[in-house]
Amino acid sequence: MTADFLAVRGIRKSFGPIEVLHGMNLDLPAGTVTALLGENGAGKSTFVRILAGDHMPDGGTISVDGAIASFRGVGDARAAGIRLIAQEIADAPTLSVAENILLGAWPTRAGLVDHRAMRELARQALEMLGTDLPLEAKVASLRLGERQIIEIARSTIGASKCIIFDEATAALSDAEARKLFQLIRRLAVRGVAILYITHRLDEVFALADRVCVLRDGRVSLDHATGDVTQDQVIEAMVGRAVANARHAVPPSTAAPPVLEATGLGSASFSDVSFALRPGEILGVYGKVGSGVQELSSSLVGARAFHEGTLYVEGSPRHFRHPADAIAAGIGHLSADRAADGLLPTMTLAENLSAPSWGRLARRGFVNRRKLRQAYGRWHRTLHIKAAASGEQLITELSGGNQQKVLLGRWLEAGSKILVLSEPTRGVDVGARQEIYRVLAGLAAKGHAIVVATSDYEDITAVASRALVMVRGRMVAEIPHERISTEALTEAAGGGVHA
Amino acid sequence: MPDNLQSEAGPMADLERNRNRAAIRKAPESAALLAFLIAEIVFFSLSSPYFLTWGNWVNVFTALSITGVLAAGGTMLLIAGQFDLSVGSGVAFVALVLALSIDSLGVLPASMLAMLVGVCIGLVNGFLVTKIGVNALITTLGTLAIFRGLTQSIGGGRNIQIANFDWAIWRPFLNIPLSALVFLLVAIMVGIVLRRSVFGRSIYAIGANENAARLVGIRTKGVVFAGFLLSGAFIGLGGLISASQLGSTSGTTGLGLELAVVTAVILGGTSLKGGTGTMFGTVIGLLIVGVLNNGLTLMNVNSSWQQAATGLLLILAVSFDQLRQRLVGRR
Repeated sequence: MTADFLAVRGIRKSFGPIEVLHGMNLDLPAGTVTALLGENGAGKSTFVRILAGDHMPDGGTISVDGAIASFRGVGDARAAGIRLIAQEIADAPTLSVAENILLGAWPTRAGLVDHRAMRELARQALEMLGTDLPLEAKVASLRLGERQIIEIARSTIGASKCIIFDEATAALSDAEARKLFQLIRRLAVRGVAILYITHRLDEVFALADRVCVLRDGRVSLDHATGDVTQDQVIEAMVGRAVANARHAVPPSTAAPPVLEATGLGSASFSDVSFALRPGEILGVYGKVGSGVQELSSSLVGARAFHEGTLYVEGSPRHFRHPADAIAAGIGHLSADRAADGLLPTMTLAENLSAPSWGRLARRGFVNRRKLRQAYGRWHRTLHIKAAASGEQLITELSGGNQQKVLLGRWLEAGSKILVLSEPTRGVDVGARQEIYRVLAGLAAKGHAIVVATSDYEDITAVASRALVMVRGRMVAEIPHERISTEALTEAAGGGVHA
Repeated sequence: MPDNLQSEAGPMADLERNRNRAAIRKAPESAALLAFLIAEIVFFSLSSPYFLTWGNWVNVFTALSITGVLAAGGTMLLIAGQFDLSVGSGVAFVALVLALSIDSLGVLPASMLAMLVGVCIGLVNGFLVTKIGVNALITTLGTLAIFRGLTQSIGGGRNIQIANFDWAIWRPFLNIPLSALVFLLVAIMVGIVLRRSVFGRSIYAIGANENAARLVGIRTKGVVFAGFLLSGAFIGLGGLISASQLGSTSGTTGLGLELAVVTAVILGGTSLKGGTGTMFGTVIGLLIVGVLNNGLTLMNVNSSWQQAATGLLLILAVSFDQLRQRLVGRR
């Protein structure tokens, strides 16, 4: 192991009266992949933004190559060789691959962009990463994983010595994630210090040399990856041991199905059949592109299907609008909470009661007290960490608590069937277990639940049985007693990223 | 059900912080605007003794009545993330229809026809935006040009007198003209509808996140269509007020009204991105512009300068709001 490229000592940062980082220490050795874990609100993003020069620390020092540095802006951090690859891809989709890789550093000749030199530099950057992309193609035509490679290639332009990846795999398929890990290892071998921020434990153990956990603004664990277990890491994240129990409820086969699909098909999937009974949690597992999300959208009327029949409580239904599905007693969570779930300018009470506004109104006028009461009904049941009045804006809550509010929507609406897409995406470890407990509790009360997910933990933790989809088709049904990570990944035709 | 009551400092501190931030965020939205309006009022009352009289305030509201009625529709639409730029030429077209039909049809049928024409303008806009899927800015820019062109070609560029149609200047109550009372009534009604009704809350939901609104079962297109229809009805009403206040109509009637409406709505704190804003804020925005114009007139400032001052005010207010958001949003 070589010398530390970056040494952070006693970094403090407050926003108003609240201190977010209380004297944080962290070393980033060159040529090492360091994983940084932490629940939402632990201070990860604040720390990253300090490293990237976006925030000024209130105290403490950052040393680069042994000399104390003071970043007054993003430019200073870049000049010191620090690059940040943010969670959201920030590229210029209408420009070419080469233009994007060199974005902000286009080579010029006589004041005009030198396209030949640009292509050559872009090609070199991709070659160093051991990959290849069509340099003239518009970025908009590429897959998400390819666009991320462009971001990484861009971060290697100039003298980059430290690259920070902030939840880089959130939107990637398994194969893309594997490829990303290879790129990261390759960068480390070339002596770059890597800081990899995630909340997926499997990634930490597959990728990192070292794992650090940030909790309440302090580093609560810092070890070589080989020296710690998953349970130790989780405990360091949440500050207590988390029961990773299976909450699964076995199927109640006696009742007639409440939701039944026969031969459903659309552009993204075909010939999907299943029957969902009350008290059952049906897991539908598939990676990005498998058609799982499109299927769940079709079940809730958000997207049309062209073949087959959908039966709700025995009668065939064709939803033309999500409102039709809601009226039929189907509630849902969308995979992309920010884009399709939250009403960001509205309060918790308004968000939770949104599908029920009509019912809670008299002659078309909403009674605010009734909205607050509706929120109060689910506030404690769902263990939402917020003021009980429900008057906060939903954007002020953490991902896990937002998800609970959105789940509450359908409990208040009285939906007996729940179709949940990626119910634990962007949710931290503790809240994840709470969501599992809530789902198991709902099933025990007779709700029929579909969990459509690309996260095998959702299935192993809570499903009564699992269907596996690959490229738009159902390839396997796994009964309750045989559900395991191995069985799921095998059926989906590939290993967990390793 | 889960019941692990771990009450460490973390979540509580979060709550406290959230509450503080929410308070900071909510307060200045209307408070800063109100403060600005009060500063204007203080300034003008010091520079003109006539400014603070009842008669002058009645004038301020009367002058705002057409813009105000249209701004009620504009507020609803902008909260839903939509625009209606056709209001100015719509008012002129409605007034023309009234002027041409009032002699043959009589006052009441001609007024009803004019209202219907206003609603039809909204219908065309709503159809193009929600059924065909044309962007609202483009749609209403198009209908703006169409109805201005129709007004000028049918009306022939002359000033058409409208006789026996002076209801708007009748002062039934506290010496306030009926047109100002209509404006106040519309503002109060739209304010209540936006704040309290399912329709109003749906408008906010659509502006906040149209996908999410659709997925919670709101018929988003229907609500936006209804918003355009209402805006059309307000065009009809605005046209009737205009015809009655002026006693005539011409090709330049209502010119630039759409910009006055957008100015007032944005000054009033409605975000261009949709999802936020109130009718109360819009009334404050209207008053800021109205008081400025009235005060400058009392100070004998030329009306061209008044226009420049309004533009400057809009940019200042929005710049101020951006700075405020940067201060509050910083994390």
